[in-house]
Amino acid sequence: MGEINGKVMSAKEAVEKFVHDDDELVIGNYTVGSCAELVYEITRQGKKGFTLYSQSGIFDVEVLVAGGCVHRLVTTYVMRSGGKKGGSAVERSLNAGTLEIEDYTNFEYNARLVAGMHGFSFLPVLEGVMVTDIFRKRGFMGENKFRVIKCPYTGKDIVTVPAATPDVCIIHVQRADIYGNAQYWGAMGSVASAALSSKKIIVSCEEIVDHEIIESSPHLTIIPAYRVNAVIEVPWGAHPTEVLGYYNVDNFMYNGLFSSAAATADGLAAWMDEWVYSCPDRAAYIDHYIRKFGSAALDELRAKPFYSAPANYGSAFTSHWNQDGKERSMGVTLPQLETLLKERGKTYE
Amino acid sequence: MSKPYTLDELLAIAVAREINDYENVVLGVGVPMTAGALAKALFAPHATLMMESGIVDIRPLLSLNNIADAHSCRGFSFSTDLFSAFTVTYRGFVDVCFLGVGQVDKYGNLNTTAIGDYEKPTIRLPGSGGAADFIAYSKRTVLTMRGGTFVNKLDYFTSPGYLEGGDSRDKTGLFPKGSGPSALISTKGIFRFDPVTKEIYLAQIHPGVKLEAVKKDIPWDLKVAADLSETQRPTDNEIDFIRNFAPELSAGRELAVELRDACIKEKANLRSEKIIGGAQARRMK
Repeated sequence: MGEINGKVMSAKEAVEKFVHDDDELVIGNYTVGSCAELVYEITRQGKKGFTLYSQSGIFDVEVLVAGGCVHRLVTTYVMRSGGKKGGSAVERSLNAGTLEIEDYTNFEYNARLVAGMHGFSFLPVLEGVMVTDIFRKRGFMGENKFRVIKCPYTGKDIVTVPAATPDVCIIHVQRADIYGNAQYWGAMGSVASAALSSKKIIVSCEEIVDHEIIESSPHLTIIPAYRVNAVIEVPWGAHPTEVLGYYNVDNFMYNGLFSSAAATADGLAAWMDEWVYSCPDRAAYIDHYIRKFGSAALDELRAKPFYSAPANYGSAFTSHWNQDGKERSMGVTLPQLETLLKERGKTYE
Repeated sequence: MSKPYTLDELLAIAVAREINDYENVVLGVGVPMTAGALAKALFAPHATLMMESGIVDIRPLLSLNNIADAHSCRGFSFSTDLFSAFTVTYRGFVDVCFLGVGQVDKYGNLNTTAIGDYEKPTIRLPGSGGAADFIAYSKRTVLTMRGGTFVNKLDYFTSPGYLEGGDSRDKTGLFPKGSGPSALISTKGIFRFDPVTKEIYLAQIHPGVKLEAVKKDIPWDLKVAADLSETQRPTDNEIDFIRNFAPELSAGRELAVELRDACIKEKANLRSEKIIGGAQARRMK
């Protein structure tokens, strides 16, 4: 760890640099605290042709699909707005033939990332799925969606899934340092495996903190610096979803404005015009929100602190030499040791 | 004239010079730990030092007692587990690791398990620990040798170097192409491996060491680089760092043990006097 290393940048720069058309893209967050600003920036830049991995598709998948960025979707769960009369961008795109989907269970989907994270080519999953259409119905992955092998120890049929190693992971966390050490706490979901299975990792965070803060709380780090390509400080970067310790979900925006809009193609297009395309970045988005609804609407979402007790990483001493200058085990001072070494003929000129 | 140094210090300093800035480095205890700390402090400030116990990006303040010794660091950046530390290596994220040598053959294969018969060993060494996995998948492996021996045939094959030499390691398809031991550093010299035959040869000799003294440890006709040079002399900075950071390494095994025993006896005497004194005082009442 050392000086600034060129990883700190804007969402715009990060997406330009590390996200490409036709990539396998994984949304690292699971159900809460999605990387909204990174999703919006990708959509604004009009990237397309993704194979998108999402453990649990919420507004993030809807925006990317409606933005025409997604060709194939690997998921376990998608949202749909407006009840029977409503709809979703995923549903509309499937019907239009512009989107292909591959359905897994939560466990199987995550197993693919865990396999990728550890460098295994596949992982065994839970065999009950064999009686379902999740197993039988094969989309674009065909035979490679699941394969069955014999357990070499029991002779039982074992269902396996292939490793996933997406080209790039986008993820929002609470905090990171300038080197990329990313700290996340709360519902762990499949967040770490989504990031660590990926070839490139773009981290957005509520705040960039000093490296010393990371060093005093390494148990909160989920992605080590050497894996991270870009670090972006984006306050409110997950809005309208929630970030534990920073703000709650904005139900007015999410279940209100977004969901009612997403039920129809026109509605969602108008919502995206206003909240995605017309806001060049997150600061502009938040400005627009405050101008329209007032800052009190945001303030009431801010988290009241409930701090975790600090973990003590201290030790009895930080030097081999005690307060008398004596080495703690050998009981001699450095000059005494140097004299002894010379007397014993252990030193070379 | 710069400071006099010990051979153990020279070894640790030569090992440190195998680390480049920005590399991901897996360290073991002893010489490698000290070498890693020296490299990070003096010339590889961006290196990420990690231990297989799952402590990643450490800044050691004093030599570590074991591979899980977070007491010797001022925090670290990432707390993971052993399983992940090895799969990170398996995936190719580790640039260089360091392994100690029990027995080594001419292709850098290692025995750290047993000398003599495996079932009834003359010396039962520690075993693989992380060694067999790290040398398999780290991009480079640097072997460090303080007490080990060169042998024609290992008593037990613990960790894969270049197997039978030539392209035999790559041909198995089991290891990343080009991986394997890149150097062996002893208290006498720095050995490297021929790019084609993969046979170990003497590349540099430590100052003051005679070629014959190197050759007498080796039961085959050791190849020597045509341009054999002398190992760079340690700088005062490097020597001072090691003496402060790992004084027992500077002392060497023999002197360290002697001083430690004396120190323990003295402490024990002081402590028992206090206890006896206390007991006597209570009886006097």
